[in-house]
Amino acid sequence: MNLATYARRNLFRRRFRSIMTVLAVTVATVIFCLIRTLVVVWHAGVDEAATDRLATRHKVSFTMELPKHYIDEIRQVPEVKAATWANWFGAKDPKERVPFFAGFAVDSDSWFDVLDEMQVPPDQLAAWKQTPNGVIIGDLLAKALDVQVGSRLVITSDIYPGDWDFKVVGIYKPLRKTADRNSLVLRWDFLNNDPRAGFAKDKIGWLVSRITDSVHSAEISRKIDTRFDQRDDQTLTTSERAFNLSFLGGFSAVLGAFDYGSLIILLIMTLILANAIAMSVRERTHEYGVMRAIGFPPRHILGFILAESVLVALVGGLIGVGVVVLAINNGIGPVLEENMSGFFPYFRAPLWVLGLALGLSGVLGLIAGAIPAWRMSRLSVTDALRRID
Amino acid sequence: MSENQMTEATKTAGAPGEPYRGTTTGTESIVTLSKITKTFFRGSEPIRVLEGLDLDVPNGSFEALMGPSGSGKSTLLNIIAGLDRPTSGAVRVAGADLGPMSDSELARWRSQTIGFVFQSFNLIPVLTAAQNVELPLLLTSLSRADRARHVATAMRIVSLEDRMHHYPRQLSGGQEQRVAIARAIVNDPKIIVADEPTGDLDRKSADDVLTLMERLNKELKKTIFMVTHDPAAAERAGVVRKLDKGALQ
Ligand SMILES: Nc1ncnc2c1ncn2[C@@H]1O[C@H](COP(=O)(O)OP(=O)(O)O)[C@@H](O)[C@H]1O
Ligand SMILES: [Mg+2]
Repeated sequence: MNLATYARRNLFRRRFRSIMTVLAVTVATVIFCLIRTLVVVWHAGVDEAATDRLATRHKVSFTMELPKHYIDEIRQVPEVKAATWANWFGAKDPKERVPFFAGFAVDSDSWFDVLDEMQVPPDQLAAWKQTPNGVIIGDLLAKALDVQVGSRLVITSDIYPGDWDFKVVGIYKPLRKTADRNSLVLRWDFLNNDPRAGFAKDKIGWLVSRITDSVHSAEISRKIDTRFDQRDDQTLTTSERAFNLSFLGGFSAVLGAFDYGSLIILLIMTLILANAIAMSVRERTHEYGVMRAIGFPPRHILGFILAESVLVALVGGLIGVGVVVLAINNGIGPVLEENMSGFFPYFRAPLWVLGLALGLSGVLGLIAGAIPAWRMSRLSVTDALRRID
Repeated sequence: MSENQMTEATKTAGAPGEPYRGTTTGTESIVTLSKITKTFFRGSEPIRVLEGLDLDVPNGSFEALMGPSGSGKSTLLNIIAGLDRPTSGAVRVAGADLGPMSDSELARWRSQTIGFVFQSFNLIPVLTAAQNVELPLLLTSLSRADRARHVATAMRIVSLEDRMHHYPRQLSGGQEQRVAIARAIVNDPKIIVADEPTGDLDRKSADDVLTLMERLNKELKKTIFMVTHDPAAAERAGVVRKLDKGALQ
């Protein structure tokens, strides 16, 4: 036996209370990890957006379109290395195997040069340029729709009526983990030549350009916008990151509130833990008095109580982290990635979040135990011995 | 238990590095209290429990302290054992002046000098009998093997070597108190203080415990200071003192 034996045995002396306390810490840990993961994952797409890319949209709203010839003008800006464009297609799977995926009509000559986080085999890219109704899709989407290169793929659209009969000519793979693996790109010229898209003939949704100097992206953005200042359709050019954020604006605020919520949960957890430890310590007042009489110094009593509190918190934290690894990283995470990769291209609690959660549970255990431990260690031996609760 | 086992106990149960401190002569005092007063405060109202008390306990004696409930018996015992300090007066126990000692010095001194036996046994319920007895040894630098040997000896002295791995709830009251006595002697203390050690026991168990205490006094030469209100218990002691109105009668 050593001193830790006693601290360890105390842990489950009141089994029900200990289990409930551990459970409270577990639940708090899981919620904390979930919220943190959500925040991290949400911002990851934005954070990892290429810093050397600008997005140009209509100044009034990103639902309004721009004349096609803007692409030629943007390509004339000296700092623009490459530029491409896209229209939102509003793609839908008529068989509803996939609830949501992004579909764009893009320029087949330049799209993958600019969006270089998606990798397409050269022969497939060449085939696309020969196939007007060809589409290239993400590897996860291909799996979900059960298609291979060469398959026929019928898609409907929120915007354009009827069935759209495509041929899968290529499948792209992500080069960054935040790349959307669930998107579909069709040829803009194919859409533009279809009478069903006649109302938007020769219009483009937005432009994406790669610039020479990411440090001066703000100046380059202004330079682009100035070019169109006097036209009917004025532009708003921002970093791709800001462009992504403008889509997420409202949700980011909600997420911020969530983030505070995670702190409140930790506070409540600490209070629950502190209460449980205070109750146990109170019940054992007499016992601590006996140990003090035998000659154990106050700091040992302090140590017993703090060790117990930290152990309870760590056990709860460890179970919580285990639950997160099993239920999120190997459970709903992959499911979200497959089905909602437009929102969550990557949904796993990062290691640092797990570490932070475990570390915090330990620290909060220490804080929760501090007051009962300090009070008990300060009690005089005779007072403790007279207490028979 | 044989005479041999007792002798073995006195040989092995010493604190590390300290030879067994013989308690053979009965003439010198092991406890000397002079002009002790102790006043508690309930709010602002003073409760004078001890008023100018003097006490000499000869080394190796077995003394019983009797007196009405609330007369201050436990208070006096706590002062002797270094658990509490008098309001005024001098306390000399086992050659040490307790007055100037700090709390931590006092704790250390207690762990080496005093064995405690309480009325309600006060074993730690989550530890086995052997682990309860080992508890005071955790404050020493004894090796695990040495600690195990001391525990076995102490358990043999109280005739509970077959109950080493039982938990307190698996023992009878009398057995629990004997484990508590084993815990009190495992450090080879000079003095054993016992506050109503038979108060919670039936007659038969009480007699066993008292017989054990007698033998600790006679065979291991321990000085025993016992508070009791049981006349049968007091009878076993060599000296019976009565506390009343703050002083010894
Ligand atoms: N810590 C304390 N605070 C206030 N009063 C106390 C305290 N300890 C003991 N007393 C009082 O001192 C008196 C003697 O107590 P005690 O020594 O326990 O008596 P006994 O052991 O003889 O029954 C009692 O009136 C008790 O209420
Ligand atoms: Mg008493």
